[in-house]
Amino acid sequence: MLGKGGKRKFDEHEDGLEGKVVSPTDGPSKVSYTLQRQTIFNISLMKLYNHRPLTEPSLQKTVLINNMLRRIQEELKQEGSLRPMFVAASQPADPLGDNFREAQPAFSHLASQPLLPADLVSTTPLESCLTPASLLEDDTFCTSPTVQHDGLTKTTPPALQPVKDSFSSALDEIEELCPAPTSAEAVAAPAAAGDSKDHPSESNVQKAEGLSENRTAESKLMDPLPGNFEITTSTGFLTDLTLDDILFADIDTSMYDFDPCTSATGAASKMAPVSADELLKTLAPYSSQPVTPNQPFKMDLTELDHIMEVLVGS
Amino acid sequence: FLGAGGGNDIQWCFSQVKGAVDDDVAEADIISTVEFNHSGELLATGDKGGRVVIFQQEQENKTQSHSRGEYNVYSTFQSHEPEFDYLKSLEIEEKINKIRWLPQKNAAQFLLSTNDKTIKLWKISERDKRPEGYNLKEEDGRYRDPTTVTTLRVPVFRPMDLMVEASPRRIFANAHTYHINSISINSDYETYLSADDLRINLWHLEITDRSFNIVDIKPANMEELTEVITAAEFHPNSCNTFVYSSSKGTIRLCDMRASALCDRHSKLFEEPEDPSNRSFFSEIISSISDVKFSHSGRYMMTRDYLSVKIWDLNMENRPVETYQVHEYLRSKLCSLYENDCIFDKFECCWNGSDRQNCNFLPSPLCSIVMTGSYNNFFRMFDRNTKRDITLEASRENNKPRTVLKPRKVCASGKRKKDEISVDSLDFNKKILHTAWHPKENIIAVATTNNLYIFQDKMN
Repeated sequence: MLGKGGKRKFDEHEDGLEGKVVSPTDGPSKVSYTLQRQTIFNISLMKLYNHRPLTEPSLQKTVLINNMLRRIQEELKQEGSLRPMFVAASQPADPLGDNFREAQPAFSHLASQPLLPADLVSTTPLESCLTPASLLEDDTFCTSPTVQHDGLTKTTPPALQPVKDSFSSALDEIEELCPAPTSAEAVAAPAAAGDSKDHPSESNVQKAEGLSENRTAESKLMDPLPGNFEITTSTGFLTDLTLDDILFADIDTSMYDFDPCTSATGAASKMAPVSADELLKTLAPYSSQPVTPNQPFKMDLTELDHIMEVLVGS
Repeated sequence: FLGAGGGNDIQWCFSQVKGAVDDDVAEADIISTVEFNHSGELLATGDKGGRVVIFQQEQENKTQSHSRGEYNVYSTFQSHEPEFDYLKSLEIEEKINKIRWLPQKNAAQFLLSTNDKTIKLWKISERDKRPEGYNLKEEDGRYRDPTTVTTLRVPVFRPMDLMVEASPRRIFANAHTYHINSISINSDYETYLSADDLRINLWHLEITDRSFNIVDIKPANMEELTEVITAAEFHPNSCNTFVYSSSKGTIRLCDMRASALCDRHSKLFEEPEDPSNRSFFSEIISSISDVKFSHSGRYMMTRDYLSVKIWDLNMENRPVETYQVHEYLRSKLCSLYENDCIFDKFECCWNGSDRQNCNFLPSPLCSIVMTGSYNNFFRMFDRNTKRDITLEASRENNKPRTVLKPRKVCASGKRKKDEISVDSLDFNKKILHTAWHPKENIIAVATTNNLYIFQDKMN
């Protein structure tokens, strides 16, 4: 759309991100609404944290993006009380939420409402949470009771080995970074393996990239309040400049180098819903609760936890 | 407007274009503001490089009745320089955000120009005579040896080539923590206001070391900040009244007689949201980028991302008219958010005078509003006929006295001949700034780095 007179085929059947507003209460389109929301959330974070101007960023823009993030946060918070989102962290016998709250004094100038990962920590009992694959494979990982999903236990580990496509290599990368790949990965693997027959492996890479990007995006929530309106009055332990420079310099943000002509997000939005739908179908037998594409948050929490350890020097 | 019919319809023709021809736009040349002075004889532009360029209209050639005077460069000067804020380690841009002319009181012209932080009052004066015949100095300025002086003479003024000088007469600095978005001269011609994201200050034109804060919406806790000021303007007739718009789509009218700090508005103008159009981007597209009073002061116009709204000052709960500028973009908002276009600040303007003559027929109600769009398109809405037109500022249409062809964007479905599809629009070519001559049907339209001047076709 930005090219000089560059034409792009106008796809009248294009939906997903553009097109009609999807109400959050529509049944089958709830997934695309959630996806739309997730994408906008990620874009908003990228805007706040990747902008490195020499001059002061526009306060109006920062406020509008921040309002967008807050609105999405609120929605997720309300929805979060209805469905399980997270499991226990890699810290034994220590829910991630507490870890996060320990870290909060370092960012004392943050908004009064906690940032997203804390919001998304479910208040439902752990038994109804999905089991992270790590629990199934690594005995030392976590002692939290997760006894209900033996069916999952048996089926997923074998599924992981034979898959040798790009998705599993991406999965390996993720495992290296955090010791606890979540059930999102474990479940997504068979789903993706199923997909790889029908769709190009690109779709799996997209999903993996999407997940890893979500992790990156969520990690950035650890930064001081988006925008940090008073640039010189930051009382935080770390300014977001420092945090970004230390930790995220290597993060590949190529997915967010939006080239509108190739419409990367368009492609992603077309690919991702397939995976999300697959996820839903796959998970339905194992859980009585509906699962959303917010699965990536689980992985993000463990990653966040890892980062917090680094920061706090524990 | 659509088509060539209608006795009162204006037919716009290309007149001139100023600026570099090549497609490579130098960032400093990006035009950031355009403003006619009160007589329309002078047209000022400000750019991102901090320069002000003033064009002057030639005196009408009485023999050539078919065209009005052309605009030629009158004065160019560097208004603002880039600065560095050492406390925040950030640059202060020299970009000129707004220019406002003072009404002319003597031979010189005065204008206010502002960047993000500092407002300056410039005096533009002509010099067409110079003194000659000094006793102690040669004509080139070298001092004469006093011993060689044998007679005395009185220096006299002799004509010289016209020189236009701009000199800064006042510098109003250090009053804004946030970025200045508006300046507006009061109808008393003694005071003016300057507005940044969170505060509005009142100045006296003669006093630079003091300004009064009249609006402050900064919350005690900055984390609670959800709304900023986007534009402000004094009422054209009531020197105690001004309005300011916000990023949430509201306009507040304040009366300075009510209290020193006008934190409580006298009127709040806000249109309830249309639930059928609700989206993630509702708030962002409701953010008002410009507010302008009509000449009578009875109405005001606001520009948000997709529309222009006319408000009656006596009715707060909804605008009296709404004009869609580019509704076809509503389904593209996510992409426009991605590429930041959704944050573009389009301005809007009224036609010159409420008693503007349209096509020479006296028309006391002639009321047209104009605003820009993408692809170098700009739009005009006739409030009386309810007709609208889309025109393009392009060098391809540069034959003087040829009527501009109306443009049409095809939103969906089959594209007709000569229509442009939404996906072919160039979002880098945006017209943010337009201005209308106060007395005649002459308009100035700024593309990224070019200034176009269009006139109506004179029969």
